[in-house]
Amino acid sequence: MTYIGTSLPISSGTPKASGSLAYTGDMKLDRMLHAKLLLSPHPHAKIKSIDTAKAAAVPGVIAIFSHENTPATYYNSALWIAEQDFVPDERLFSPVVRFVGDRVAAVVAADEATAEHAAALIEVDYEELPAVFDIEEAFAARNVSRDPETLPIYENPISDMTVEYGNTDEAFARAHLVVEDRVKTPKTHHCAIENHVCLAVAERDGSITVHTPCQSVFAVKFIVAKALSLPDDRIRVIKAPTGGSFGGKSEPVLEPLCAFFSRVTKRPVMLQLDRYGSIVSTRTRNAAVGRVKTAFDKDGKILARDIQAIGDAGAYRSGGNMVVGAMARRLGRLYKIGNQRFRGWSVYTNTPIGGAYRGYGSSQIHAITEINLEHAARRLGMDPVELRLKNLVEPFDDDPAGGPSVGNARIIECVKEGAEAFDWKNKRNRPRGDGRRKRGVGMSCATHGNGHFGAYPENAAATLSLRDDGGLHLVSPLHDLGCGTVTIMRQIVAEAVGASPEMVAVPEADTGTCAFDPGSRASRVTYIVGECAQEASLMLKAKILEVAALAFNSSPDDLTLKDNQIRSNYGGDRRMSLRELAGFARQRSPEDISVTHHFKPRANPGSYAACFVEVEVDTLTGLTRVMDVLAVHDIGQPINLTLAEGQVHGGIHMGIGYALLEDLDIDPDTGQTKGNSLSRYQVLNAPEMPRVQVLFVESKETTGPYGGKALGEVATVPMAPAIVNAVNHALGTELTELPLTPERVVAGLVEQDELDQA
Amino acid sequence: MKLDLNINGEDLEVDVSGSELLSDVLRSKLDLTGVKEGCREGECGACTVLMDDMAVNSCLVLAIQATGRRIVTVEGLAQQDALDKIQEAFVEHGAIQCGYCSPGMIMAAKALLLREPRPTRHAIRDALAGNLCRCTGYLNIIKAIEAALLPPRDREERL
Repeated sequence: MTYIGTSLPISSGTPKASGSLAYTGDMKLDRMLHAKLLLSPHPHAKIKSIDTAKAAAVPGVIAIFSHENTPATYYNSALWIAEQDFVPDERLFSPVVRFVGDRVAAVVAADEATAEHAAALIEVDYEELPAVFDIEEAFAARNVSRDPETLPIYENPISDMTVEYGNTDEAFARAHLVVEDRVKTPKTHHCAIENHVCLAVAERDGSITVHTPCQSVFAVKFIVAKALSLPDDRIRVIKAPTGGSFGGKSEPVLEPLCAFFSRVTKRPVMLQLDRYGSIVSTRTRNAAVGRVKTAFDKDGKILARDIQAIGDAGAYRSGGNMVVGAMARRLGRLYKIGNQRFRGWSVYTNTPIGGAYRGYGSSQIHAITEINLEHAARRLGMDPVELRLKNLVEPFDDDPAGGPSVGNARIIECVKEGAEAFDWKNKRNRPRGDGRRKRGVGMSCATHGNGHFGAYPENAAATLSLRDDGGLHLVSPLHDLGCGTVTIMRQIVAEAVGASPEMVAVPEADTGTCAFDPGSRASRVTYIVGECAQEASLMLKAKILEVAALAFNSSPDDLTLKDNQIRSNYGGDRRMSLRELAGFARQRSPEDISVTHHFKPRANPGSYAACFVEVEVDTLTGLTRVMDVLAVHDIGQPINLTLAEGQVHGGIHMGIGYALLEDLDIDPDTGQTKGNSLSRYQVLNAPEMPRVQVLFVESKETTGPYGGKALGEVATVPMAPAIVNAVNHALGTELTELPLTPERVVAGLVEQDELDQA
Repeated sequence: MKLDLNINGEDLEVDVSGSELLSDVLRSKLDLTGVKEGCREGECGACTVLMDDMAVNSCLVLAIQATGRRIVTVEGLAQQDALDKIQEAFVEHGAIQCGYCSPGMIMAAKALLLREPRPTRHAIRDALAGNLCRCTGYLNIIKAIEAALLPPRDREERL
């Protein structure tokens, strides 16, 4: 292969490095206004009155919005298909605020400073209401209508689901050993360096154009149309360059507001949050509490597993139920477990809203189950690698829960190759140190999906054309979030057609020009849109050769297209460039050289990862430092090696944060987010990053483009449990509450001392 | 008030208020939007610029403090459209994903190489301590900076 598996530099590299690329917040339009939000200081309160007189008197203020003068239409920001039947419970501004950070009002003014100044002058009279912040407390109060006066009813639990197969109770009854854990995972912020931002433009014809660094232009369009009660076709959404997302910009948050402000003021409106707003008022990773019981036979085979998990949706439902569903869908796809029961709930709390986050559901469920496996290995007296190798899925295993096959799942190779490259056996059996600092090693496995197939509707659409200048033009609703989506699509098209990547233009999503697809979500882009692009490319190539056959007076089968040139397989000097061919086709061919391809996948294999880490824990301060990481992935054929490594590096960075540092840390008394700025929400910096080695096992997924499958999400999933396992190995503890802050580590050591003395 | 500023080698007279931040003036008044903003508290480093060859968070500097200093933003690095070798290395070595931290990272790297032409890996990591990146885990950024400071022949051998 010429381009697949190479390290073609990211397409947007030069404009990003030179600072010339205009992100949404860099755009300036004539007559553009700026909006600022006023956010709730209370976790749950009824708004008795809003006095905007002082704010309105500030020179430059154009409009002020609150629940009093905005639509009362309820919507659910998690939907991505027009008529998806998700319970709507959010509106532009609510008369009842439900968390610290909920939207109270907005000021639109001539400039940002004026809007911010005026927003602070709005006087709001609140009647405080009882609030609940803790997941288990919210769960215990279930079936209690918390807010009977308003519709919809905010009632717990939001969802209650059971997945069961085999005979779990019978298997537990014959178990040699049962290992039980309760694991807690935190509410975290995506921390894209670009804050949340949107620019809406009221057009002269009454339609609205929305520029946004989103993950699905169609989701934005449907939700804006719904919130504003406008027909879909009055909204055009154009995907803007994205300064990081990681799921955070997956759900429309600012877009409906910004579009409404622009519609009313009839001027372009920019709405950009500061870091506080991005952390507390957009979306977060759903916190979770899981209780897991695993039954083993005496050889360490898993007989059965029983899991109960509660996900924290936050103050609005969004896709809280879907996150729990995603947790359930992983359960039969990593280990061969013949008997399993999962019961999961999602609950409202008066805390920031949950939503999509890299590793959707997988990060939570793997933390729960992989930490449990480490404890099991300890009690079985087995090496954790050996224990996993006895139980891991094999290629083309069925999903016992009824999901699609796991595909060409090479997790066993990941673990074997990783254990060897990491020198696992030696490191695991090394002394952990008898001084203040202890060393330990841990590992974890993980799986994540490839698209929605098996759970939700899935499709892709692409139109690929040969332009008159000989270039290729791919139109598909692509959203490059920084992962290099555009680059790998250029590689796939170039490889399949026989052109060079610089000849392939790949504009990003625009509802004005693209057919529907679900967007950058669910690890679907490389595997599904990539496959669609490859098939479209092969169809286009066939068309090109058919027309070329007229020019060459030959059969298409006797022609080769390579390096942008067509030549005869039987020699001769004649070369026809794609540009010449396009000109020939324009004049002589009965139809244009263009294909539109609609693709529906029939598979959803797993992507797999195994991660090995070494940590050093300071037993005096409780500080953990990750020293070494080895990550081994089965992603089929990597399309772009450097970009793939970059995904793993970033996933490791985020996973270390999840294990050790990152937490919105809601104050149990006030509901305030303590981790509400970058000085209080700790993200790993360069000196703290460990040594990292990245490996990809030899693998091909026949249903994916050139054998490729997804990477971006799975890359972060195994990290946190691997680190927790390493810390517990170093200390001999069984810590299960993430993140492992110094306080929690010290508390664990104190508890261990007490147990030792008892 | 009118301020005399030297930005990217050019002497400019800019109208600012006493409390205006350098980052705001660069972005809003001079359209130097390569200067990014991620926190306005000096934590993320996306707004890093050079002030007399030192890396500073321009969100922590008042515009008036920039008078009499040489300010260089990422837009001032390329010479006649040819990228600086640090910028080139960032593109080539996978140091750029979403790109939002890249201008600040590149300026932090530039400041380092101006004061220490052959820094150790340790010094490179330390020089980036004030710049957050959420995409790359910093590893390819460090690799890119190392590549930028080696002459091409050494570069081949080392990579």
